[in-house]
Amino acid sequence: MIGEPIARVWHVTLGIGAVLLLLIAYTILSMRQHRENPDDKTIPSWSQLSEGVKKSVEVNQRSNERWVVADAQATSLRLFWGVFWGVSGSLLIGMLMGCFAFVEAFLYPPLAFLAKIPPIALLAVFFVLAGTGETMYVTMIAFGVLPTLAQTVYLAVKEVPAELRYKAYTLGASHLEIIWNVLLRHVLPKLIDAIRLQIGPAMVYLIAAEMVVGDVGFGYRIRLQFKLLNMSVVYPYIVVLGAFGFGIDYALRKLQAFVSPWYAKGY
Amino acid sequence: MGRIIIFAVCAAALAQTAFAAKPPVFSLAWSEYPSWSAFGVCHETGLINGAAGKLGSIEEKWGVDIELKEAEYDPCIAMYGAGQTDAVCITNMDVLNASLSRPGVAILATSTSYGADACIVSSAIADVKDLKGKKVRGLALSVSEYCFARNLQILGEDPAEYTFVNMDPGAAALAMQQKQADFDAIVVWNPFVLDTLNQRKDCHVLFDSSSIPNEIIDMVVMSESALQKPKGKEFASAVADAFYALNKRMADATTRDDTLIALGEKFSNLDLQSMRKVVQQTKFYATPEEATKLFDSAELKDTMTKVVDFCVKMEIVAKKPVVAFGAGATGNLVFDPAYIAAAAAKP
Amino acid sequence: MDQPASLAIDCLSHGFGTKPVLHDVQLRILRGQIVALVGPSGCGKSTLLRAIVGTHLPRQGTVTVFSGNSHLTGHVVEGPGRDRGIVYQHYSLFPFLTAVENVAFGLMLDQTNISYRLFKFPRWLKRRAEHLKQAREFLDRVGLGSAASLYPSEMSGGMCQRVAVAQALIMKPALLLLDEPFGALDEAMREELQRMLLGLYQENLAARRKGELEPHTMFIVTHELNEALYVGDRVVGLSQYWDWRQAGHAQPPGATVVYDCSAPIFEPDDTRDFSCFAGQREEIRDVVFNPDSAYPREKHLRYWQELEQQREAEPAP
Ligand SMILES: Nc1ncnc2c1ncn2[C@@H]1O[C@H](COP(=O)(O)OP(=O)(O)OP(=O)(O)O)[C@@H](O)[C@H]1O
Ligand SMILES: [Mg+2]
Repeated sequence: MIGEPIARVWHVTLGIGAVLLLLIAYTILSMRQHRENPDDKTIPSWSQLSEGVKKSVEVNQRSNERWVVADAQATSLRLFWGVFWGVSGSLLIGMLMGCFAFVEAFLYPPLAFLAKIPPIALLAVFFVLAGTGETMYVTMIAFGVLPTLAQTVYLAVKEVPAELRYKAYTLGASHLEIIWNVLLRHVLPKLIDAIRLQIGPAMVYLIAAEMVVGDVGFGYRIRLQFKLLNMSVVYPYIVVLGAFGFGIDYALRKLQAFVSPWYAKGY
Repeated sequence: MGRIIIFAVCAAALAQTAFAAKPPVFSLAWSEYPSWSAFGVCHETGLINGAAGKLGSIEEKWGVDIELKEAEYDPCIAMYGAGQTDAVCITNMDVLNASLSRPGVAILATSTSYGADACIVSSAIADVKDLKGKKVRGLALSVSEYCFARNLQILGEDPAEYTFVNMDPGAAALAMQQKQADFDAIVVWNPFVLDTLNQRKDCHVLFDSSSIPNEIIDMVVMSESALQKPKGKEFASAVADAFYALNKRMADATTRDDTLIALGEKFSNLDLQSMRKVVQQTKFYATPEEATKLFDSAELKDTMTKVVDFCVKMEIVAKKPVVAFGAGATGNLVFDPAYIAAAAAKP
Repeated sequence: MDQPASLAIDCLSHGFGTKPVLHDVQLRILRGQIVALVGPSGCGKSTLLRAIVGTHLPRQGTVTVFSGNSHLTGHVVEGPGRDRGIVYQHYSLFPFLTAVENVAFGLMLDQTNISYRLFKFPRWLKRRAEHLKQAREFLDRVGLGSAASLYPSEMSGGMCQRVAVAQALIMKPALLLLDEPFGALDEAMREELQRMLLGLYQENLAARRKGELEPHTMFIVTHELNEALYVGDRVVGLSQYWDWRQAGHAQPPGATVVYDCSAPIFEPDDTRDFSCFAGQREEIRDVVFNPDSAYPREKHLRYWQELEQQREAEPAP
């Protein structure tokens, strides 16, 4: 029947099954390709892949670095600062918009418009405005996630029932305390939800930018190794990227449960 | 009943003949670059019909169906490596790595960089020694880096003392034109060279690929296995034929400018004047004789040794590819002038 | 001893756009009373309450609140303040705080500020512990000591409203306003909460006997006549149905106070016998709720007379 729940064993089995299926499909694909051309590098065999993994994690002779470590460090720092500034900015803007009608009237139209532009299309604009250094990545991510997040904050503030604000005033709250102790508490879990959704796009902008101007980072490595047809490096990198995104999502969920336990309890 | 059988047999026979009459399809992947855009212009002028199943005049002449696949340069390489195209427009350097997994034959040399790759520096830099401690930006592990390293070598400098930092040439040129901080030197290729020099009069070329003529070679490489297929050699000859046919149009004063404009249309927004310069800096091997001369020269062997060594040193290739020369030779990459000759022999 | 006033509403009128809602409302509430406000739906009860809370100020007239610990001083309402508590029908609690935190919320907002909580963190922690202890006591008083760590979403509607009452009471407001607080509850739950309010009224009586200031003054809006008569010691009827034509208005001028009488007083443990005030109920139906009635607005304002008679009957202490 539609919507019928299944036992936990099935959940786990089916999950593992799906992964196995993927691996088997890949193996078949790779074997077929290698039958056609034993030297193929585009769909590497498992042994080629392990070579690629080794290449990525071992200390590289020329650069004296472990590729994955250097790339993960660069990419995650860029992502962190980008998201950090994006979130800070969106909190400020969203809060002001939610609290003051004149800020709302002033900022809503451009924000609603900007939120609809895929920042990837703005990549060229960011190169021009923010240069090509580390600040560029940070600016790009920050501006990329800001419109959507600011809208989220703004809508979340608007959603807070007026009664709660009035009530807080009758309990002796100052204006600042309304913002800090009522609105912010309300907004936080929704903001974290929105951040979780925005990490994906943020990664897209970041990887795309790294592909063009990076000299270290996931995007840089993937483009370079792709051009060199070292798919044995590219695929593991993609898996690492997936795990990276998954880890961030998990961490954000934990953070949400920590700062807003009430939200998870079916508010 | 009988009629149905007869009908079916007839239909099958018809299909058979139609199928047999259809020339085999070979694909050529190309990206926008002056001497490679030639194939796109060939399509526009009707010499080749780039769609599979349709024939241009040259395709009819050789009895093959050429399918043109246009893509960015990097995906072209990947397509070739993955066996999704039979031939590809590629440089003599980038083909080495691909040839390790998919042995190929250089069937045609289209042009050589003669100034099209250049190191552009700001006025702060007068001498190559001034570059020490500065970041030189360009696409890593590409002809740009090769051009940079080779020029340093010619100038008697040690490349280890210089820092080459990866950046997309388009982005690097843009940053240079904007005078972004810490941007004193870039190594890029055309159209970015001309573009940057046009936009920033205070910049100058420190050195370029004219010091290493015939070392950076733009060519068409076809996979060994595709070449062995029926009509594979005809395809190779047809590609060469089409290229020379277009070069004739460029040599002819009445069609030259049109052709140049067509070549440059998608390449960049450079004007006719600049495009004239582009084809100077990207020196076409416009006739079969020029290309044959290159393929037969001892100089090419020397060049390829240098390029291979560079690739090995930079870990662009995992192992040394075997480069061979002349008809019948075997190796990962074979320079075979036979198809150029075949095209020339069948006017 | 004369009961001091807790609230005085003078000449209060209000409207939305061109539509008049409240017309010249006069009302005086004494310290320690539970005044039930009834009226037809849409007559402006909530509007009147909002004017008292101060979130929506009236177009004309003033609301004066008398607050203080031992000596009451009056001030005109210009905005919401900590001397008036409010319990709404919905959104009474902050969803992100547990029951006990909700109750302690007012203490925190009232007694400390953000910089104190941030920069004098250790001291704040100590203070916080006291607040929570006090909040737990208040929760106990409304019978919810065991639900202290539950979030509003984990509590029933009735529990939430009790917490909301505790949350307001902890501030010791001069006036507690309740806007249909039990409107969304089932009958059993409603009854329990009504008994709880009666319990608070008993605290008032006890204080009065000791000659102290009564701790709770309540103004409760309800659409349930039985509830009004059962919980309140005084019922005020607000209605747009009165003889405004006789008073010289060409258009309906809005609702005003048309009924004001004392109500029977129950103790929490008394049996709930609504038949004893059947007559009064019918009278209110007729005066307040009947669209066809057109009594002069002063006709059923008997409360102050009744109070006078009651005082005369009572032996002087
Ligand atoms: N913000 C507003 N804008 C316009 N009209 C309003 C507004 N708020 C209330 N009203 C109108 O004022 C009148 C009184 O509203 P109010 O909410 O005070 O009624 P009420 O007596 O509390 O009704 P109920 O018993 O249904 O709660 C209603 O006719 C309502 O339509
Ligand atoms: Mg109401």
